[in-house]
Amino acid sequence: MALIAVIDDDPDIVETTTMVLKSKGYDVVSASNPDDGYDVIKDESPDLIILDVIMVEPDDGFFLAQRLRRDGIKTPILMYTSISKATGIQYDKNEMIPVDEFLEKPVSPDTLVEKVKALLEKGGA
Amino acid sequence: MTEAKPKALVIDDEELLRLGVKRLLELEDYDVDVASGGVEGVEKATSGDFDVALIDLKMPDLDGVEVLRRIREKRPHTVCYIATAYASYETAVEATRLGAQGYILKPFTDDELLDQLEKGVRKRRLELESARLRQEREERMLELATERSRLKTVVNALADGVLVVNYEGKAVYYNPAALTYLGLDDLSLEEPALDKLPEELRRLISQYLDEPEKRTTAVSKQLALKPNYELTIEATCTPAPNPDGSIAGVVVALKNITELKRIEHLKNQFVSMVSHELKAPVAASIGFLNTILDPDTNLDEETQTRFMERAVSRLNSLLTMVNDLLDISRMELKTAVRELKEVNLAEILEETISLFKMDIEKKQIGVDFETEENLPTITADENEVQRLFTNLISNAVKYNRQGGTLVVRAKRAGAYAATTVRDTGVGLKPEEKKKLFSEFFRAKNEFTKGIHGTGLGMSIVKRIVDSYSGKIEFESEYGAGTTFVVSLPIRREEREE
Repeated sequence: MALIAVIDDDPDIVETTTMVLKSKGYDVVSASNPDDGYDVIKDESPDLIILDVIMVEPDDGFFLAQRLRRDGIKTPILMYTSISKATGIQYDKNEMIPVDEFLEKPVSPDTLVEKVKALLEKGGA
Repeated sequence: MTEAKPKALVIDDEELLRLGVKRLLELEDYDVDVASGGVEGVEKATSGDFDVALIDLKMPDLDGVEVLRRIREKRPHTVCYIATAYASYETAVEATRLGAQGYILKPFTDDELLDQLEKGVRKRRLELESARLRQEREERMLELATERSRLKTVVNALADGVLVVNYEGKAVYYNPAALTYLGLDDLSLEEPALDKLPEELRRLISQYLDEPEKRTTAVSKQLALKPNYELTIEATCTPAPNPDGSIAGVVVALKNITELKRIEHLKNQFVSMVSHELKAPVAASIGFLNTILDPDTNLDEETQTRFMERAVSRLNSLLTMVNDLLDISRMELKTAVRELKEVNLAEILEETISLFKMDIEKKQIGVDFETEENLPTITADENEVQRLFTNLISNAVKYNRQGGTLVVRAKRAGAYAATTVRDTGVGLKPEEKKKLFSEFFRAKNEFTKGIHGTGLGMSIVKRIVDSYSGKIEFESEYGAGTTFVVSLPIRREEREE
């Protein structure tokens, strides 16, 4: 079964996301900051990364995604954030944000699972 | 023009002639004065203002030619005639050279004299009129020049840049501010200016020049001339049409809106942070509820209860945050309703510490509380002061270590009541210190994992202190603790002691 890394500084989000994913049969590893996240990804080689944007710093998620891509890690990344596009700050996947999917929180279990499935199929896992 | 009597001066050493001419002229309505010699003649002619003077050429004291010269020097508009019995070609030339109007041969008939003098008077009047007109014209020119220089002074003094480009794209007018904003050292007039302008501005001006029929109204555009909000200019282009409707040029006004853009950027950042902070607890709570509802998770009752409790807790923190934000907004808009009265600081501090009794006991924190005797009161809203110290002491407890100490001291310091709140807690890293009072700043490190907060507490503290013209200072060492000193002005009557 596919292994998913959840990297988010909100322990409640990590707990519920983990629980939902596990109930669908996925294996989950997690981290609460970008440095631990990087280590977990290096050590565990997950099939998919679910990554929050604002952790210790407001752009931690972007930097971690860039760092992973620089290291040649091509694992699909599903990025999610509570930043609202309605505030005029436009964030989406682009060259500066090398991710495969960008979602606004909260993400319902159905949407999450649907996106995870799609990305895993695309990634060939 | 109401004509005054023409004034004539007769200079002649021959008394009979003087009197004869005087009588004749007076009959013709002249105002006549006489002089019996050259010196007296010069004296009278230069101190009065005569229309015409009749000067005898041969006088014993002063020669008529010299008299003429001296009169002309001082009174160039007095029309002079030389009268002589011995006309010589040389003296005639000399007299004319010196500005005599004419030559009158003695003896002369009444008509001859009158005819000559009348011409002289007319000439003199025409000359005066022309001089007056000339002076008027010069004054107007001067006025115009002053007006032009005044306009230039005004335009040059404007903080806004002004640049006028003609239909050929040449700069025909600009002020120093325009050069500064556009980063140009110099722009000579009549020089093709378009190529020297920033791309966006050039395109905007070109639209007016190339298709004047399409662009007939003013257009403003914001130009980020330097990145990172260093220089943003709002350029407003207004077409200047010729009377026939064709384009004469474009007037460009350049307004520096850098500060405005910077504030706008900060506001956007703030709004985006607020929305993130508000959405995070909502997302977490929805996450808990969705996990409970998801049939696949198949949660046991205990986990379900724990999740619901967490959801309630997150929503409560959301509520606190919303209230804090509303308070900040009220403080910012200065619409907070205040009830100012004499506030006893020592009492408030004591009450506040007792609020945290349970947490203090749980963490086994030693409390060291002391206030100076007869501490002066401060004039303030009691709720706000309570809020201020609740936030400070709450942090000092929350971020303290197990078995640490909390020191609270209040004493008078000049015109202020100074309250010290010291903890032996997490402390701040150097880079965190300048962010301490910013909204949503929360120290995130290995020690602060389980500590909750909105990140608005210290921002509220700072706003309250500032609103009373007080000051807040702090010292902090990472891993050792933080000391705050809040100074609030004491009551005016108690300051002089």
